[in-house]
Amino acid sequence: MRFLFLIIFMSSFNVCAQVVQQMDSLIANKLEEVVITGQINPQSISNSIVEVKVITREDIERQAGNTLADVLNTSLNISVSPNTSTGKSGVSLFGLDSQYFKVLIDNIPIINEEGLGNNTDLTLINLDDIQRIEIVEGAMGVQYGSNAVSGIINIITKKSSRNDWDITTYVQEESVGNEYEWFERGRHIQSLKVGHNLTERIYLNGVYTRNDFAGFFNNRKGKNHSVNDNLRGHQWLPKSQQNTKALFFYKKDDLTFSYRFEYLNESIERYAQNISINENPSTNTTNPTALDEIYTNNRFYHHLNALGTLFRAIEFNVSLSFQEQSKDLERFTYRIVSQEKENIKKGQYQSRRALFSRGTFSNIINTNTTNLQLGYELINEYGLGSSLAIVIGPGADLVTQQLYNYDFFATSEIKINKEFSLRPGGRVSFSNLFKTQFIGSLSAKQIISENWELRAILGSANRTPNYNELYTFFVDVNHDVQGNPDLDPEQGLSVFLHLKKKSALYDGRLKLKNKVSLNYLDITDRIELIVVNQSPLAFQYNNIDSFKALGIFSENEIYFQNFRAKFGASLQGISKVLDSRSQSNNDFLFNLQYNCNLSYYAPKFDTTYSIFFKHIGKQQQFVEKTNEQGQQEFRAGTTDPFSWLDTTISKSFFKGIFKTTAGSRNIFDITQVNTTALEGGSHSGPPSQIPLGYGRSYFLKLTYHLTY
Amino acid sequence: MNFSNYYKSFFGVLVFLLLSCSNDDSLDMPLEPFVVAFESLSANLSQINEAQDISLVYSKAAIQTGSVTLLLDVTNAVYGVDFITTPPINSNNLIIPILPTEIETSFLFTKLNQALDETVEIRFSIVSVDYPNAVIQGNTQFTINSSASLGRGFEPSVGGPNQPNQVYIDLSTESQTSIKRDSWDLGFYGGSDFRIGLNSSIYMAAAALESTDIDAVTQADVLEIQDQVAVGTFDPANIIYIDNPDGDINKTAIAPISSNDLENKVYLLNLGYEVGTETPAPGSIAIAGDARGWKKIRILKQDDAYLLQYADLNQSTHQEVLIEKDSNFNFSFFSFDTNSKLAVEPQLENWDVNFTVFTNVLTGAGSYGFSDGVLHNRKGGVKAYSILTDEIAYDDFSIENINTSAFLLDQRTIGSSWREVITQDKVLVDNIYYIIQDPNDNIYKLKFTALLSDSGERGFPEFKYKLVQ
Repeated sequence: MRFLFLIIFMSSFNVCAQVVQQMDSLIANKLEEVVITGQINPQSISNSIVEVKVITREDIERQAGNTLADVLNTSLNISVSPNTSTGKSGVSLFGLDSQYFKVLIDNIPIINEEGLGNNTDLTLINLDDIQRIEIVEGAMGVQYGSNAVSGIINIITKKSSRNDWDITTYVQEESVGNEYEWFERGRHIQSLKVGHNLTERIYLNGVYTRNDFAGFFNNRKGKNHSVNDNLRGHQWLPKSQQNTKALFFYKKDDLTFSYRFEYLNESIERYAQNISINENPSTNTTNPTALDEIYTNNRFYHHLNALGTLFRAIEFNVSLSFQEQSKDLERFTYRIVSQEKENIKKGQYQSRRALFSRGTFSNIINTNTTNLQLGYELINEYGLGSSLAIVIGPGADLVTQQLYNYDFFATSEIKINKEFSLRPGGRVSFSNLFKTQFIGSLSAKQIISENWELRAILGSANRTPNYNELYTFFVDVNHDVQGNPDLDPEQGLSVFLHLKKKSALYDGRLKLKNKVSLNYLDITDRIELIVVNQSPLAFQYNNIDSFKALGIFSENEIYFQNFRAKFGASLQGISKVLDSRSQSNNDFLFNLQYNCNLSYYAPKFDTTYSIFFKHIGKQQQFVEKTNEQGQQEFRAGTTDPFSWLDTTISKSFFKGIFKTTAGSRNIFDITQVNTTALEGGSHSGPPSQIPLGYGRSYFLKLTYHLTY
Repeated sequence: MNFSNYYKSFFGVLVFLLLSCSNDDSLDMPLEPFVVAFESLSANLSQINEAQDISLVYSKAAIQTGSVTLLLDVTNAVYGVDFITTPPINSNNLIIPILPTEIETSFLFTKLNQALDETVEIRFSIVSVDYPNAVIQGNTQFTINSSASLGRGFEPSVGGPNQPNQVYIDLSTESQTSIKRDSWDLGFYGGSDFRIGLNSSIYMAAAALESTDIDAVTQADVLEIQDQVAVGTFDPANIIYIDNPDGDINKTAIAPISSNDLENKVYLLNLGYEVGTETPAPGSIAIAGDARGWKKIRILKQDDAYLLQYADLNQSTHQEVLIEKDSNFNFSFFSFDTNSKLAVEPQLENWDVNFTVFTNVLTGAGSYGFSDGVLHNRKGGVKAYSILTDEIAYDDFSIENINTSAFLLDQRTIGSSWREVITQDKVLVDNIYYIIQDPNDNIYKLKFTALLSDSGERGFPEFKYKLVQ
């Protein structure tokens, strides 16, 4: 309905479209992007010793990405893993989940109810005021602290404009699979963004975005279904988000000062699959009820930043941030026929707040060959988990944790000669809960020839134990499963080798960038639940296992006139030593994935066509199953291969004042994938399903952009 | 948080102004019928002493006035002579008002003649309901005679997520007897054998020791096995320490008491756990509280009675108590807490099913504590079997459908098969019901109608049952 309306609305513009527009900055006009992640001073990608990948604003626009979860799915090595029962989307990188991966906004880890930077729900990271996204694979513990094990994402926000006023508003309508209605189905996004240069020195920016996801019903029948046939509720939980952001940016000479604020409100509705029919045997009537839950997330983010030069030499960059995210839970009995809520109970579910400060002081030593950066990171973090979120046994309402971290780090860039530079670094981390951690890194860059570069990056980082691992308490007459407050952080180490080549052919009309990388990741002291006593049977979390990932991947870019292609392939092997199990198998199991992003700009129509493709080959994992003889056996289970394909068309009208982007996501119509790689069950049993997507969907985005 | 509320309302207005996108949940609720029905189906004439309220319930709270008209049908008795009702009968009709906000009503039945015999039958039928959208269905008749109960809905007082009570239910008299689980320890069998039952609802366990001298046994002697003499150790060998959960009196943990005293060994007794007191998360349970400790016991036969010797583990003297058999009951019960005998079960013919926590066995994992258990009175002669609704719907099951060869003795035939609690969602199994033959050969069909309270707490079961005719 609404879709049709919008299409008609859009095509009416088509008729009177003026097809004169400058080439989009999409095209290869800035091959040399400046990055800040992991740098002593902001510098170009090619000068950086650390290997940084960038997703640009244009990339985000072409995909019509509203949240981080929308844009990462077709990146190499990274997979987005949705959890349909919590409504959250995590990330998986080199076989490691969100706990090992850190998300930062302007160098500052962004909080969520389960972590500071890690465990991030990608759907909660709105991209509407984002300049670009910088991604570093591998451990970055020296620069970014705990939990930056498999990699980091650093989201760089927009802090300036060439225009006096920038007003952007858009509406985006998406189907969820083939489900779409005005309100009750599909995904509906509205946004308003205003940027203004108040004076030459002061830039202000404000964004409001509403993102309403009505859930994926599939065959389920929603909230008011009153038959007990397991069809009530949703396959993917409905949720709606409201994001508000504000920026104050001041610049004078060598000093910039900024304050950035974000408020996020999200509500996730979980309508129970099971219904109590509440039969009244006397009257032979029913009064069906269900026990439903609404989770409400509130996140406040404040970030003060000062950046400038001291004594005409030392570049300082100091941030102070206070962040808080609380997830509250409202539980109630829903009388389905009368549509009334009863027995409403509200309470805290999980929350976390942190006072965070990070400062770097660059050019402490600054000679032609050596640059030294000193830095600190201070964290005062308070977390809370209620008994509804964490199993802590009856009687205890909640667990709380106060974590203080005092970290100091130093990193230096040493140019041995014109071609070879080194980048050693170290961090010491003191905390009130864990023993002092020492983290080191060493990177090297060799310019082999004008177009060839070789980088070797050794990094380390640790993962701090989560609340389940520390505080679980599930002890009753039949069970004894306990957390372990004495756990140490897991130790992660990574080695990356990148060989890059740039070439220009046909008088520079065809440009190529090629990269081959080798990677190795090693995690020791992995935390796993183990049997600590056979009879009576007792379990406890311990630092026991280890994990290795070994792989090779290649990423390539081609620019030819108005055509751009990025394609890559990655072969990753994972080996797990499970000392927590009586039997295990630490053979490497390999997975192949490849991706391809194509775009073509047609100047005549001021239109960009894009394709985003990714294939993930079969994935294997050793799991314990019952074999034909009824014995427990460790065998490789397999998750079937699958592919993602998104395609978009983007067209501008009236010199870019109007822009429409339309497209289709998940063209292969993936909803779930079969797997035998889940623990338990019998080996010959049927495969289980992992939910991946909600099927082929369509979107239309209309943007109105006014500048003066 | 005021701040966030302020924010929300601010944004609410903003969104409205921006997009006028508000969502009105259009309510197209179907008009629900209004049903008035008897709360239960029957009453026993001999159990009415003088007068009894007879309840009528509504399917939902009344919102206006109305009335329900009952028709009286009498066999071998006379209104005004043998019985009367309040309000009175007028030309065989009884009119009872329906009042706003009420969810039920009742009338009073008064028995004037205390000598009414078994041929008497007094029946009330709902013939009309004066109320908008009224429907007559469910329990439309109420019978007063001298037969067994025709059935009703039932809410045993299990007592919530700690499941503190054992509830013994007699279907034919619609009665329940409730006792706190941890108020007793041992049952002394009243039948011909000399057997001892442990209180499996508090997860007791017993292990035979080598010694026959109770005063000589010390804590040090049992230290090595104490860890194992318990429920839920996940050791398949631990089933020797518990009574077989099938309820067979010949498979108790404690060996039959011999008339030769030298064969009666000292037993190490794990007294299990007190009833839990914590309030768990909704849907969960907190069955076990503090551990109740240990005893050493030895039981001897003295004439036709039991002689129980008991002491704490390190005591070098012991106490003795003589416990007589009583063949009217399955067991005579004893509590260490009060050092006395006490009444627990009704007489063996007067109960059919027991709502209780119990100790079960998991194949390959040994003993395991179960909540929400329903055990039938195997020792009293009750038998049961289960049927899936796919085979025959509950409402359709009648006397021709009874399969006498399907009856099982195993007291766990109902057990916990009526609920599913493995996953986060605690679910009533909706497609199973049970056929139960009571000690007087009445056959009932019984189906569970609730596992949780309205707000999702465990320990609030409900069921309905009907005499199979």
